[in-house]
Amino acid sequence: MLDEPKLQALRKGFLEFLVLRIIQGSSVYSADILKRLAGTEFATQEGTLYPLLSRLRREGLLDYAWQESDSGPPRKYYRLTEAGANRLAEFNVYWTRIQQTISSLGG
Amino acid sequence: MRPVIAVSLNGRAYQLEDEAHRALAQYLDTAERALAGNPDRVEIIADLEQAIADKCDRFLNAHKTVLTQTEIALVIEQMGPVETGTDGAAATPDPQQTGAHRDGTTPAPPKRLYQISAGALLSGVCAGLAVYFDVDVTLVRLLFVIAAILTGGLAVLVYLAMMFILPYANTPEEVAAAAGLPFNARALIEQWKRKAARFADAAAYAARRQGSSAEHARWHAEWRRARAQWRSEWRKNRPEWHARRWHSWNATAPPPPPPPLPPAAAFLSGLGWAVLGILVALITLAWLVALLSLLATGALFGWSLPHLPLWAAILVLIVLYQLVLSPLRALRYAHSPHLYAYRYRSHALADALVGLAILALLVWLLDHHLPAVEHVLSVLSERLSSLWRQVAAPSR
Repeated sequence: MLDEPKLQALRKGFLEFLVLRIIQGSSVYSADILKRLAGTEFATQEGTLYPLLSRLRREGLLDYAWQESDSGPPRKYYRLTEAGANRLAEFNVYWTRIQQTISSLGG
Repeated sequence: MRPVIAVSLNGRAYQLEDEAHRALAQYLDTAERALAGNPDRVEIIADLEQAIADKCDRFLNAHKTVLTQTEIALVIEQMGPVETGTDGAAATPDPQQTGAHRDGTTPAPPKRLYQISAGALLSGVCAGLAVYFDVDVTLVRLLFVIAAILTGGLAVLVYLAMMFILPYANTPEEVAAAAGLPFNARALIEQWKRKAARFADAAAYAARRQGSSAEHARWHAEWRRARAQWRSEWRKNRPEWHARRWHSWNATAPPPPPPPLPPAAAFLSGLGWAVLGILVALITLAWLVALLSLLATGALFGWSLPHLPLWAAILVLIVLYQLVLSPLRALRYAHSPHLYAYRYRSHALADALVGLAILALLVWLLDHHLPAVEHVLSVLSERLSSLWRQVAAPSR
């Protein structure tokens, strides 16, 4: 049932919100985002995450900085921009409202 | 010994087995297409390559420096299909081109009608139709023969038309498209995973049931059912395996980064392709006329066959046609102007030469050891030389 396309679409819509939530606070490496999502209903792969990160950056919600790593080449560490933080706050408010609506409409 | 291909992933060098390279190139190709129109395409691809490189590193150490097909397939599976966002910021390209969809499923690709030369009796039209409609090829052939008889030969014309119009399914993707199957590494892996899971289930079931012999019969029935299902699935997917096997025989690769052909060579090979095509068409036409004359009059161009029943004559005609044509087809393939064939041209040439040699050997052996064949050949050569004299006489 969880694989139903409708539910899949629902999860897809939440992904952006979740990525912003994970990134808030400190700067995060993309592999860490995947690790945080892995094992949840929102488990995501690079093929999905990278285009999403790139779009969020283009929309001005994210920014990244190169950081040297002990193993391998430098890595991109993402953090929220001010616009990103604002968007996340909006999202959070909206999410609370939706939850209230859902519980008020349900039995 | 396996050939190894060196690639650069985001600036680092990796060594891949041929098959692994092909799978990876296909994945990145699909990614590029999915990101077409995305202004950050180059950057995303670089990130993806970096992630692939990181995953590859896990398989490598000082004593293992080459990545196998299995490992690359795992890496690709972990990467997942490259999906573009829902909203306008990322231009969503034509879904038919991307192959990978936002919801992670691959849509059923459009079916196309192709000729399939693997296992073809004549040209592969029937094989293509059979795959397209998912029925047995023998049935299609039978229907064609019946149609040809009922329509007084009209169906033969239809066959001829299709022979010249329908494209050949040359690459495994095209063969897959002929059957309407998705062809990509992910689909293949999932197929195998499904099979493996089913096999594991059956094995676990067997282990559980082993103890009680009363239940054994039930298990056996279950196992037989699973096997039947497996088989039917295998049959359903056979074109794909066919394609893969055929691919390893005839070495038709899914378009690898093609080396550009020098113009002169391209022209020559195009010319060879066309001339051989005409030759094949002429031989086919002559063969069809011979077949029709045999069927209509019971004789070959007015020459009645010595001690040979009609069915045997038809059989001989078909076998002869195949023998003559197969090296020609291979030769034509060697001259294929398609770029992907370029790398393997020497193989096809060798195929053709071997085919011709076997044909010559066969004729020679039959000529020397079967009096009937010797007789037929001598009569045939007489007829041919008399025909030649008739043709050549007026010009003198």
